[in-house]
Parts: sequence; C-alpha cells; structure tokens
Amino acid sequence: MASRIKTNAEKYIVCPFCSLHCDDILSKSDGKKYSISSEASKVSEANKTCLKKIESFNINAKSILTPTIKNKKANLSSALKYTRQILKKQKDAIIVNHGIDVSGVRSMLNFALNYNCSIDHINSKFLYQNIGIVQRTGYMATSLTETKNRGDVIIVFGNNILCKTPRLIEKVLIPSNSLCTNAKNKKIIFIGEFPDKLLKNLSKKYNISYIKTKIDYIPDLLNLLSDIGSIKIPNISKALVTKIKPIISKSKYLVATWSASDFINSKNPDKIIQAISQFILDRNKISRAACMPISGSLGDTTSSQTLTWLTGFPSRIKYAHGSFVHDRNIYNNEIIIDKKNTDVVIHISSLSPNKIKINENLKNIFIGHPNSKFTSQPDVFIPVGIPGIDYEGIMFRTDNVVSVALKKIRAINLPTTKEILDELT
Amino acid sequence: MNIKLESGNIFDPQNNIFNKKMDLYIADGKIISKKNIKGKINKIINCSNKIVMPGAIDMHTHIGGGKVNIARLMLEDFHIENNKNFDSSSIIAPSTIKTGLKYIEMGYTTCFEPALLPVNARQAHSEMADIPFIDKGGYALLGNDDFFLDLLRKKASQSMINDYVAFILNATQSIGIKVVNPGGINAFKFNQRALNVDEKSKYYNITPRDIISKLTQSIYDLGIAHPLHVHCSNLGIPGNYLSTIETIKAANSLPIHLTHIQFHSYGNNGDKAFSSASVEISNFLNKIPNLTCDVGQIMFGQTVTMSGDSMSQYRNHNHAHPKKWMCMDIECDAGCGIVPFKYKDKSFVNALQWVIGLEIFLLAEDPWKIFLTTDHPNGAPFTSYPHLIKLLMDRSFRNDILKQLPKSIRDHSILHTLKREYSLNEIAIMTRAAPARILGLQNKGNFSEGSDADITIYDKNNKDIENMFAHPIMVLKDGKVVVENGKVKNYLWGKTQTIKPEYDASIEKVLNKFFDRYHTMKLDNYIITESEMSNLIGSEIVTNKCKYERKQ
Repeated sequence: MASRIKTNAEKYIVCPFCSLHCDDILSKSDGKKYSISSEASKVSEANKTCLKKIESFNINAKSILTPTIKNKKANLSSALKYTRQILKKQKDAIIVNHGIDVSGVRSMLNFALNYNCSIDHINSKFLYQNIGIVQRTGYMATSLTETKNRGDVIIVFGNNILCKTPRLIEKVLIPSNSLCTNAKNKKIIFIGEFPDKLLKNLSKKYNISYIKTKIDYIPDLLNLLSDIGSIKIPNISKALVTKIKPIISKSKYLVATWSASDFINSKNPDKIIQAISQFILDRNKISRAACMPISGSLGDTTSSQTLTWLTGFPSRIKYAHGSFVHDRNIYNNEIIIDKKNTDVVIHISSLSPNKIKINENLKNIFIGHPNSKFTSQPDVFIPVGIPGIDYEGIMFRTDNVVSVALKKIRAINLPTTKEILDELT
Repeated sequence: MNIKLESGNIFDPQNNIFNKKMDLYIADGKIISKKNIKGKINKIINCSNKIVMPGAIDMHTHIGGGKVNIARLMLEDFHIENNKNFDSSSIIAPSTIKTGLKYIEMGYTTCFEPALLPVNARQAHSEMADIPFIDKGGYALLGNDDFFLDLLRKKASQSMINDYVAFILNATQSIGIKVVNPGGINAFKFNQRALNVDEKSKYYNITPRDIISKLTQSIYDLGIAHPLHVHCSNLGIPGNYLSTIETIKAANSLPIHLTHIQFHSYGNNGDKAFSSASVEISNFLNKIPNLTCDVGQIMFGQTVTMSGDSMSQYRNHNHAHPKKWMCMDIECDAGCGIVPFKYKDKSFVNALQWVIGLEIFLLAEDPWKIFLTTDHPNGAPFTSYPHLIKLLMDRSFRNDILKQLPKSIRDHSILHTLKREYSLNEIAIMTRAAPARILGLQNKGNFSEGSDADITIYDKNNKDIENMFAHPIMVLKDGKVVVENGKVKNYLWGKTQTIKPEYDASIEKVLNKFFDRYHTMKLDNYIITESEMSNLIGSEIVTNKCKYERKQ
C-alpha cells in the first residue's frame, strides 16, 4: 500500500449493531471501558440513540465474563470439557445463530459438519420473505449509496423500519449531500402504520407524504397508484391517491424500502413484498426504480451470504450423507425446538441485546457476548467477545453488496466465537 | 522436500519445450534445476508415458463476489447434484468448496474473477479465500463509477487518472482493471437503455471511446502487465461486431484484451438478421499486435448468466430460463444482472453462437493471443473445458455435432470448412503459458527455475482427449500432491495474486472528500489492507511486479 489515511487520536469504529454498519462513529477507550461520540456535524437524535446503544455494551455489574456450568462459575477449559460431553451424546443438535461475523459463520459451518447438526438463523423467516422474490420472479434492487445519490422519490413501507435502522433517513434517504439529485428536493412517501408522532416530527424537517393504511392493503394501494383496478380501501381518499400519483410518475429514480419483519403480522407478507417488487418492475418499463429491503439487524445478511457461498444455501441446512442439505421447513429452528425435534440447542449470539428464549426441556449450550440475557439459565454459558468491540471481523450491510471491516476497541480478554467453535470442533 | 518427476513428456511453451522427454525437479514447492538441489531426493514420481504441463490458468471465470452469490441463492432449486464427495450445489452456481474441487480435478491451479467491484471486493476476496487449492485474483471494475466519470467530465489529467487506477488496484487487492460496457452501466442508472461507442452519456457527456482511451493509457503508463480487460458495448446485439471494432480502435494501438469476444462478434445479415462476424473480428485479432481475446464459448444446456452489465442483463431478462432474474445498481460503483439461461441446440441463435465461438478459436493464428474460456458460467460451466478442447483438437468430433444443429446454420457459417485441429502444444500455450504471460505471472504457467510447482500430469495413453483433460492422473500445487489417480488427496489453500503500482497519495485526499460527501462508508473502510487479507479475509497475497516504472 503506497499510503494510508491517518486517523485521529480518537478511533473510528464500524458499528456492529445494526445493518447500516455506520463507520462515522468515534470511540475512545482505556482498554476496558469505551465511550462513543459522533462527528460534530452528524449529531442527531437518531445518532444519539445509536451511540447509547453501542455504549450499552460496556461491561457492567451484570456482565458475565466467566463461563458458567449450570449457572455456576467455571474456568474455560472445564466449560469446554462439559460442552464436549454434551456434544458427544447429542444425536440431533441444532445451532441457532443470533448474530455473528463472517469468521464465526465459517467456524459454525465446520462445527456443524463435525457434529452433523443443523443450522438456522433466528431471523430466517424474514430472510426468506425477501429471498422469495429473487427465487420466484424478477427483481430490481439498489444499494444505500445509490439511494443516497440517485433516489429522488423514496417510498417507505411498514411501521417500525426506522427503529431498526435509526439513521436510515439522515444517512441514506434524505442526506445532506446527493450526487445526482438535489438532496433538498427528495421526497419520501410513507405507506403503512407509522407512529403519528414520528411522522409529525419528520414532516417539520423533510418533504414527506403519508398514506396511512393497514399493511394488508399495500398491494391494493399500489394497484391504485398504478391505475390498475379501482378497489376501495378503507380510509384512503381519492384525493390522497391523486396527490401521490404525480410524485411517483415524475420520479426519475424511485426507491422502495421496507423491513420484512414489519409485515410479519399481516395475512400474507409474501404477497406484500411481491406487490412492491412488481410495482418497481413496472416502473422500470418507463423510468428507473429499485427495491432496497432493510434487514440484517442480527447479522442475518452476514450469515446468509457466507453460508450461501460455502454451501449454496442461505440457512436451514444440515450436514448429512456427505453434503449439506437444505429444507426451509424441516430445519426451521422454531419448529425444531418447539416440537423438541432436537436434543441439544447451541445458541450463538455475539451481537444481540435481546433476551433469548431457552427451552428448559432441552440441553442448551450458549456461546454469547458478556451482556447476554436469557429466559432461563443454559446448561453451559461461554462468554465471547463482540465483533467490532472486542475483535476485528467482517460483516455485511443490509444491501448485501457491501461488507465492512469491524475494528477492535477494547481488550477484555474474551475469546472470539470462532476460537470457541474451532476449539470444540 | 525434494521431488523428481521422472521421464515425463514435458510441455513448457514459455521455454520452448514441447513434448520433450525429460525430468523435472521440485524443492520446497518451487521448480529447481538438478544442479541446485540440496540434499537427497525424497520422492520420485514416475512420469513415463505421461504428459506433464504447468497447472492450467483460467483467466476469466466468475467464481466470487456478489453476483455469484445471488446466482447461488436464486438457483437454490438447482442444488440437487448428488456426486460423492461434493456438496449438492449446482455446477452452474457452485459453492466455493465445489469450485475448488472441480478446478483442481481438471488440473487448473490458478483462476481469476474478472468482475470484482471495488466496493464489493471484500466479499469477492472472502469468497475466493474459501475456494480450496487454487491461487486466485481479480480484475477491479472501473469505467462506470461516478468518481471516475466525474474525473473525465472535469477533464482531469491523465496523471490523476493514473493515480486513481493505481489506488484502486492497491485498495482492492486486484491484479488488473476491467471495464464492462464502458459508461453503459452508469447511463442505465439515468434510464439510458443503450450506449454506443461514440454516443455520449446524457449525464456525464462522455463516450465509451473516451473511457477506453483513458483507461488503456493508464494501464500502459502504470506498467500493469494485464492490458485493460474489456467487456465491449452492445453485448449480444446483432451487428455488434462494428462497435467491437470501434472499441479496439479506441485503445489507440495500446494493449487491450477483449473478453468473451464470442458475445461481441455478431453480424446482422441474412434472413434472420443474425450472422457470424467471426472473420471480421479474427482479421483484427490476427493483424493487431496488442490485441488479445478470450472467447467465452457457449455450450448447449442450462446455465446462468451473470454480469456487471446491468444494462444488457435488463434488456435480456425476458429470455430468462427459468423465468426469474435480478438486476442491481451498486454503490455509484457499477451494477450487476443475473439471468438464468438455457442454450438450446435447436435454436438458430444459440447454435450460431456455438459456431461463432469455435470459428474465432480456429481462425486465430496465434495461440498466444487467444484464451480458452466459457466466461463461466455465462457460456457454460468451466467443467466443459475438456469438451471444448476436444472440439478444437478433433475436427470430425466437431463436425459430427455441427451436423446435429439446424441445417440453416451451415448457410450462415464457415465452421465446416475449417480444417484446423489444435495441437497439444497450442492447448498448452492457450491454457498455461499465454495466460501467465498476459497476466504478468512470472512464476506461473512455466517450468523455469523458481516458478511455483503447480503441475498437471495426464495419461498419455488415454486416447480420449476429453477424458484425458477432464481427469489428470496427478496434480501438484506448490509442490504438494493434491490429486492422485484422479482423486483429491489433500486440501490446501492458495494465495491471491495482486499488483501494486505506485500512486501519488494526494488522490486519497480527493477521494476522502468524495466518500465523506457522497458515499455511505468512509474511504478507510473501503480500502482492503494486506493484513486484512491474511487475518480476516483469509488469503495471503502475492504481489507481482509491474512491467516497468510508471511513465506518468
């Protein structure tokens, strides 16, 4: 390398905790504890939310830094030995991935190969909704930077997408700078059931429109906006549709964005995503338009990308008879665990702050970050570092095409997920 | 560890050795002369009645990166192959493990991903790091990225453009530069649906000719071994041979490599307005010294087309078989399109595509200028190479298949009149020595002292040439036996081939501003360092030398 850019005394980190993986965040660390700040020009309410979240992974009184066996402290070698004993007896174990980096996924696959166990990601059900379009029909997609610089009209579908990616608006949808469009003239159309307060606040700052409707009506609404059919939708006035249509028809680069998990309570999530995709395909006959689904809050994209290149399948696989086989129903972790079609569950969670459900009727091995929370104690808990906080790693962004290099900002001497899995393999 | 390969029939075109019975020596993974061996010979491999060639090199094969993974994902229902010792992924979109296994079984030891998007380089390298056995590398895509087009619009100096090109090669750990549909992918983002060589893009007001001229000059100035690797404008369009010829001219006599030339050698004559322009293209190939091509031969059957050329792939999506496809605009960098496709021998167009590729192979006078590829998987999966070699070496075999194609093909083709049969010497050149030379791989594709001991040994008594090339009896990688009696014996992991031309670091300041303003990641995160390659991505790098010091 001929030269490298010098960084400040404060270190830029790449946030590992949402699928935007912002890298304009600064950290200071004394080796153990770290603090996070933002570039002065980029402090916003959304940004503050992110900073708090990243800092919440500091070690606290409840952090578990030592392995436990049946909720009693143990040293690492004892924990590994006990884990091996459980694995030796297992007949049909399943790994549930709650979020790891590329190196963790690689090792997870080797581990599964060694113990003939199945693998699923906790968010697979959402993953398959988006993958479904690619596997069934046609699909036009775009990425974050394209949206930032080319998108002149953006339709945001759903209800909760902005909570999952707090900086989506300021970084991507309506940024301060845009290469090929006038950032100030960008228009956002929200369609779905967003909190009124959120939209009220956004409307003070941005050029937004809102079509408030139940998620299940999205396909019909898109038909109305495309002049296909004339079905009446409750609480949607003709005047509102008439107002929105020219915004869409004048767009030069329309972007549709959603988070599949927002549709999970609808009658037919697949139909909604299919309708959005078809709407975008139709727009491309005369103009340019593309989809930008948001996913990956628990390393979903990292897991699906890595498993796909290693096996051909993104999730729900099992090593059997000399190769990995895939079945999205048979290897569904929820079904397997609920029906107790397994004897050992190996939870791997280096990112999630959420409380993870433990089925007490099964053996549970938990390889997770020190601030992990669970509904009941697993048989073994082995604390591991967080990628991007405790060790360097690679993760994929929501748009799948960009992967980022996570950095290490503290040294608390925890092993990595890869190291533990390799040790057990 | 000292190894002697005894009494093999050696093919080493780089050293003008063709079918000469001699011994080869290996020490610590490298070729060594007998006189320089220290200590005793630890292992003797009897190579009598064996053909011994350097490991084959595939200079254009889509084996890693975003579009490859989309294809794997899209074609999930094709992943039902059930061969012993392989995973079930389909050979048209194989897993990384299967890719390595199938390549090494055929005696290929080095392969290059030709469409490495700079912003996707981390993924492409991560995938390729998980391909066992082979060495690999990538050509970084330029010529559709907004930063580069903005430089051209602002009439930036050639020196500044050279800095940017050199920066990209360094930052993406690549070995060459490729341009796909110059300016066309970018124009498609502004809703232009076609862009001819002298047509200006609406937004940047730049022609593909401008892009080719600047990039070929840059590659030449920087001393990069591999010429600009060009996927021409108008892929697949009848009559496109004219824009292909204009692309050649745009290089201003500087070195240029046209990839998958078969897809760019179409005329529009005849009752079907689709004809072969292989003669016209071959005339250029034969007379212009700095022009090289790989063919991108098609084979009949199911495959998947994957390309950075989103403009062309969108145009072709109605031909998808099965009916699913995907196109993507990517990060103000480039784009991609994935369209599954089935080449049918009963289709006039597909049959003529098959003919055109073979005509180009057979009309090329110099095997150092033409390369054996199927543009895996676009024309066919790479596992069809042995079949392709037989088509080139066996005229009667070729003509037997030709006779099975629609009768109208003979009226549109000269293939049946071409008597040429490739020799083993020529196959050794086009699959080993020539790609190594054109990529600047001094230590590959030859048996010179110090070269990597990547060696493929074939059974000379095997009279079926296709079978012989499909199943070498032994393959050595870095001096280690990895295939023996046709079976994979040991796993090992290859390295990544790169080149690191010098550049003025001030280009990073300009880029830094551009990234902070317009990108969604920082420049520092875009750059892949050597330590990241080895520690996170998982592949050590080899840095190849530039041909000469930078000229400007």
